[in-house]
Amino acid sequence: MKRALFITFNEVRLYLQDKADLAFGLLLPVITFALMYGAFGGQTMFKATAPVVNEDKGAYSAQLIEQLDKVEGIKVELLTAGEADTKLERSDLLLVLFIPSDFSETLVSGDKAGLVFKQRGNGGQEGQILASIIRGVVETMNQEFLVRSQVRSNLEGKGIPENSIEVTVKEYLDKERQQAAVVIAEEVTGGSPDFINQYLPGIITMYVLFSLSLSARTIVEERKRGTLERLLTTRLNAHELFIGKFLSSVARGFVQTFILLVLSYAVFRLFTPLSFLASLVISLVFAAAAAALGMIIASIARSEDGATWIGVVFTMFMVMLGGTFFPVSEGSTLATIGKVSLNTYANDAFRTIIAEGGSLGDTLQPLAVLAGVAVVGLVISRLIFRAVPGGK
Amino acid sequence: MPEEFMVVKDLQKSFKDLKAVNGVSFSILKGEIFGLLGPNGAGKTTTIRMLSTVLESDSGDITIGGHSVRHEAEAVRSIIGVCPQELALYEDLSALDNMVFFGRMAGLDGKEARAQAMTNLELMGLVDRAKGKVAKFSGGMKRRINLAIALMGHPQLLFLDEPTVGIDPQSRNHIYENILGLQKKGMTILYTTHYMEEADRLCNRIAIMDAGEVIALDTTYQLKSQIGSPDKVTLEDVFLKLTGRSLRD
Repeated sequence: MKRALFITFNEVRLYLQDKADLAFGLLLPVITFALMYGAFGGQTMFKATAPVVNEDKGAYSAQLIEQLDKVEGIKVELLTAGEADTKLERSDLLLVLFIPSDFSETLVSGDKAGLVFKQRGNGGQEGQILASIIRGVVETMNQEFLVRSQVRSNLEGKGIPENSIEVTVKEYLDKERQQAAVVIAEEVTGGSPDFINQYLPGIITMYVLFSLSLSARTIVEERKRGTLERLLTTRLNAHELFIGKFLSSVARGFVQTFILLVLSYAVFRLFTPLSFLASLVISLVFAAAAAALGMIIASIARSEDGATWIGVVFTMFMVMLGGTFFPVSEGSTLATIGKVSLNTYANDAFRTIIAEGGSLGDTLQPLAVLAGVAVVGLVISRLIFRAVPGGK
Repeated sequence: MPEEFMVVKDLQKSFKDLKAVNGVSFSILKGEIFGLLGPNGAGKTTTIRMLSTVLESDSGDITIGGHSVRHEAEAVRSIIGVCPQELALYEDLSALDNMVFFGRMAGLDGKEARAQAMTNLELMGLVDRAKGKVAKFSGGMKRRINLAIALMGHPQLLFLDEPTVGIDPQSRNHIYENILGLQKKGMTILYTTHYMEEADRLCNRIAIMDAGEVIALDTTYQLKSQIGSPDKVTLEDVFLKLTGRSLRD
């Protein structure tokens, strides 16, 4: 066993010497993470630009726009009617708020004023969210307007100055807000279902499988270098060689996921300490399963190119079937075929921890499958290595 | 009479239709340098691979230091050192790291491996390059490291498969001196080459191989005596006489 660890140590040392492998193994996860951070900005608050055509020059339309602009994540973009129509026509915009020219005048006269959402189709997902936010702002304005009207009508003819009426209305509204009948509180339990925790499991599993291609080359490289034959004339036996290579492959896959998990923990705050540890355990078991499959390819492959290509095709197959890039519906044919993919089980386990806030105990089934693949894969690769020419 | 350290009996190996080794038998005495001489493709490397436990023979027996290669491969590997024909080094590592690593594989502990590595580097005249990356070494220096690695673990029997191929005369002479020095210390050496003068200079006895068979086996003096005056005849002449063609054909 000691010699197997020397093989692992030597392999890791060679890995650290190889700049290309090092860049692939360590820098790529960091770059991916930076891209994720750039895309999701480290927070998941809804952000959008609200296109508004304001044909009214009155105070109420100005107030509406001001209120809208104050909503967190919303930025108002004022357009002319012509610009808005052109953009809607080209589908550059899917929803625009039109404030008609008589909006303020109608409100002052005591009649009901109208606003118009011009939209293509259903306005798109972002348009629908925007429309809801605008409706909320209008609703608040409505309430304020009603309060102001009622106070005015009650105080009409009593010689009270306009300023005093305005102050009274503001005080009343503030009091109303503080004594709201329904209060909504946010309570965060486990992970939140946002983009990061939906996609992170897939990205992690993809990286572990990419390292499979590197593991697949491990025996071929040794053979090409001539050191495989030399090693087999020393006291090192083939079992120790295999265990050593296997452990180095596990280490390589695990380090990649470790980087991603640590960065996610530090920046996105996706984990509790316990769920972070659970994710590390899943990473380790998955890396072992991927390394064992890499060893099978390593035993079969006769050239570095052969090993790399078998590894890449195998990885893409696993990634596609395993629901890394797109969700696979439960019970579908693809889901049934996907049962042969390691990613299915790894994604399942990671999602349970990261997206659903589950514990390690909830992932026992996928973990058992991955551990089984690791053991069986290692035994098969060893048998193949014994059987193929040049193996021992 | 020195004891037989290695005994090879009727060794056979085929690769599909090609009979690479066909009934090879010989024995090597303890402390001698035994040469396997023959042109490329004669079966020398295949024979060495079988003797060094890398390749299983189709039939025949090999005993090294009293251990059967077929049944006690592990015991055999603990007393042999192999310097393969092709360089077998980790070029991204330093000379010292290469040697310590193979020393550990030969069963040495860390301290022993390091001490032996430094001794062997000194023997090869490379101690000042111990920490240099092998990739930056000249061909001759790499050959010397290749040989130095084979000495890790103090093997009793050393296999040297064409250890001087493609190197400058200076490095070649250095290796010759090392090999003779190792013999003086009691090491048994099996040496393959297709350089006549090398075999003539180093080997006590020589087996000449051709087409997978041993066609002659004796001391260089006796082999040369078979066709003329040993002072005037070369091993090249012996080979020409035996096979009807030049060794380098």
